[in-house]
Amino acid sequence: MTYYLVIFVAGFAGSFHCIGMCGGFACALGRDRGGAAATAGRHVLYNFGRLTTYCFLGAAAGALGEMLCTSRGLAVPVLNGPLDGAQRGLAIVAGLLMIAVALQFFGVLQRFQGATIGFGGSTLAMSLRNLLTSENRAAPVAFGVFNGFLPCPLVYAFAVQAASTASAVSGFLVMLAFGLGTFPAMLMMGGVGRLLAPIWRQRGVWVAGSFILLLGLITLGRGVLPFDTHLHALPQGSPG
Amino acid sequence: MTGRDGNLCSHCLLPIGIRPMQRTVNGEDCSFCCYGCCIAYQVKHGQSEEWEAAWLLIRLGVGAFLTMNIMLISLLLYAGTFSADPWLIPWIHLLLWLFATPALIILGEPYLREMWTAAAQGRVTSSALVVLGVTAAYAYSVFATVEGSEEVYFDTATMVLMLFTVGAYIEAAGRAKAARDLEPLLAAESESATTVDGGVEVRRPVRDIAPGMLVRVRPGERIPVDGVVVEGRSHADESVMTGESRQVVKSAGSTVIAGSMNLDGPLLLRSSGAGSATRWAQICRSVREALSRRSPIQRIADRLVGLSVPLVLLLGGLAVGYWAQTLPFDRALLIGLAVLVVACPCAVGLAAPLATSLGIGRLARCGCLVRDPGTLEALARTRLIAFDKTGTLTSGTSRLVGIATEGATTDLVLARAAGLERYSEHGLARAIIATAEAKGIAPDVAGDVQAVPGRGIKGQVGGEPVAAGNRAFMRDLGWPLPPLLAEKARSLEASGHSVISIGWGGRVHAVLAFDDTPHPEARATIEELRRLGLQVALLTGDLAPAARRIAAMVGIDDVQAELSPEAKQAALDEYRQRHEVVAMVGDGLNDGPVLADADVGIAVGSATDLARETAALVLPKDGLCMLPWVIVVSRAVRLTIVTNLAWAFGYNLIALTLAALGTLQPVLAAAVMASSSLLLVVNSLRLSRLPDPALPGIDRRAPGIEPADIRRNLGVPAMASPATEQR
Repeated sequence: MTYYLVIFVAGFAGSFHCIGMCGGFACALGRDRGGAAATAGRHVLYNFGRLTTYCFLGAAAGALGEMLCTSRGLAVPVLNGPLDGAQRGLAIVAGLLMIAVALQFFGVLQRFQGATIGFGGSTLAMSLRNLLTSENRAAPVAFGVFNGFLPCPLVYAFAVQAASTASAVSGFLVMLAFGLGTFPAMLMMGGVGRLLAPIWRQRGVWVAGSFILLLGLITLGRGVLPFDTHLHALPQGSPG
Repeated sequence: MTGRDGNLCSHCLLPIGIRPMQRTVNGEDCSFCCYGCCIAYQVKHGQSEEWEAAWLLIRLGVGAFLTMNIMLISLLLYAGTFSADPWLIPWIHLLLWLFATPALIILGEPYLREMWTAAAQGRVTSSALVVLGVTAAYAYSVFATVEGSEEVYFDTATMVLMLFTVGAYIEAAGRAKAARDLEPLLAAESESATTVDGGVEVRRPVRDIAPGMLVRVRPGERIPVDGVVVEGRSHADESVMTGESRQVVKSAGSTVIAGSMNLDGPLLLRSSGAGSATRWAQICRSVREALSRRSPIQRIADRLVGLSVPLVLLLGGLAVGYWAQTLPFDRALLIGLAVLVVACPCAVGLAAPLATSLGIGRLARCGCLVRDPGTLEALARTRLIAFDKTGTLTSGTSRLVGIATEGATTDLVLARAAGLERYSEHGLARAIIATAEAKGIAPDVAGDVQAVPGRGIKGQVGGEPVAAGNRAFMRDLGWPLPPLLAEKARSLEASGHSVISIGWGGRVHAVLAFDDTPHPEARATIEELRRLGLQVALLTGDLAPAARRIAAMVGIDDVQAELSPEAKQAALDEYRQRHEVVAMVGDGLNDGPVLADADVGIAVGSATDLARETAALVLPKDGLCMLPWVIVVSRAVRLTIVTNLAWAFGYNLIALTLAALGTLQPVLAAAVMASSSLLLVVNSLRLSRLPDPALPGIDRRAPGIEPADIRRNLGVPAMASPATEQR
């Protein structure tokens, strides 16, 4: 459970980074003419769509990790548990990727950033404006779903984390915790708009970066440390 | 850019079948070849005020939302999360049913509609496979939910649909890249231009522009008509029309070519012809026509696809029947579903058209026009290329180097010859006219002019029959050559000059000698063709010494001279027996029938209209040096088609076997299917990375003419035009 709490907090901290891009969307989604309740409904629907995508990505990443590990590890039962080689490899890759993303947040590895952000995102984002202005009640859900697929290093980092759990359910839970973590900030953005000073956004990015760096180091540690010295009880296939 | 006349897809510009998807986007009627293109086009071009574009996205988004939730819940089920509370499971099945029903309706509707329209025409298409498979999985799951059994497959049903839709979208988005090269060429039919009428600017379609109209062209816009600059100063990129990536300065008095790009300054033009009569419009028509035709390979592939659908249905049924004997019915049903999904022959149908349209677009961008996709395939298989001499290997701008007369003055000979030759496009004719002009001699007025292919030209000047042509022509007419002139002509011919006799009043009065110089790049071109493994031959109607002289200069050993058009055809037939596929490169009136007779008739830029009608490939003016590049492109296209087909069939067969053996999950099968067509797109798109033709005299690395810049510029107006129009 501690693990998911850490993820939740990281998601919460990281969501201040979201304000830069997705926050803009939340603002643009704006108020509904039907009053405060309708506006709140719109934003909840939007965030719910986003959360669904995250959870799906998490489950898919977890399943992928599971496939990678079991295809090599399952045949040899001795390797199950903390000594599973494939899972260690996965943890190392995931940890390194997370550290790379975190360094990006601190302004290092800028070239890497281009590679992660420029992946067809602009076209997708452009086409989404149609949904923002639509009066249709279901439009915010659709918008949230697509928004979830927008290229974002933060989402990548946690998806990689989800993959490293090597279980579809744990992957799902990782991204659920992360997604819920981003809820407060994103919901707030819908309401308070641009009240947040730019300095806070910058600090948010730093806080997010620190969390991802920490998580990355922990994940990397899971891969390289010789014995089971984890900060938390790592769930293996069982939720929480 | 649009499929208004119903033969090209609005999105990817591939030919659409007999049963296009029709939609209205931004108030325009669009036709699409597939559902993927329909989505991709609306996502890319849909205006925000357009209700339909948003509605499509909403549907897809909600469909994805439901599908992902179904998938998540199913994952939790499979992981045994609820095994502690078995009483929950029927309720969860019910919840899945609740989610799956709208998801199925939302995502499956286009497939159902397609199946329905096809069925109304008595055909079974691949969408029937999807619909049938998914419906079976859904119906079974509903039954299982009501029955309260262990397993339901709502996740499979919805996920298969979702993957098909996403796969189709990604594939269509990739295909749009193939259309990028074609857009500027097809824009002549859809683009509009600003005309200035009494100080008032009016936007009107290019085809409505009449000669003499004033047209304003802004920087970054395409020049819509041929004309003369009235005011303004700018640079133009004429690469689409001339094949030369070079910026040409345009100022008052300069002529401009329709289809070229106005780069950096506003121009006011006076059109010199109708908007629909420009070479650009002609190219546009010919490219559209070429794209809408199907190549022989493609026709075979299409027939196979048509046959495969019922076969796959049968195979799916057999798989269910077979496995139901040993496995529970739901497992057997899933295997059947996997068979239906994985055998969907979308990739086979895509293998050839994408590669050919990329090839045609690539060539057209450099001014090389192809009559149909089959031309590219034939050209790739060509083993021998025969050349005509005059105007093809030689510059065609021959110089008149000597005149021998008897019983007439040089000026009179030139006046009569120029009067006749004004009606000819033959290279020697231009030399005569140029000499007459240089000497200040006004051409006589000739009437009743008639060109005789392979012989010469005759007509009436002042009521007297006048003729100019080769010796055979004079013999046909029965006009004798005075001995002195005959002697002169013989010695000139022996030294390899082209000789034309001019006569009137029943006898020859003069012989003209021409120096025919080979194109500067002819030798390099021939060498390059040899390097590509091609045999090269020279077939000419000219005299043997002249032919041998030129052949030696450009490096051709196989020479046949003094051939009539019929003899050229016979020579080609002979070559065909030895080399199977032969191409003929020609120019001018004489070559029409020969070009038509060759497997690939290639006309070079200055070709007359008749030659263009008969040629399968037209190179731009002075474009002989592009021939090796064109062959490289055609070979690359053919290789791509062959690898695509091999891949599509191989992939389908292996996946089908795996599915029938029960080792491929339906969801995985759908993913495999989507990635299969995506791989074809990626493989075909490699064609757009082929290097540009290396043109002599142009440094491609010179600042300001980066090919990428030009290409970007070219893309601008085609995409910007609808918006500009609305302003």
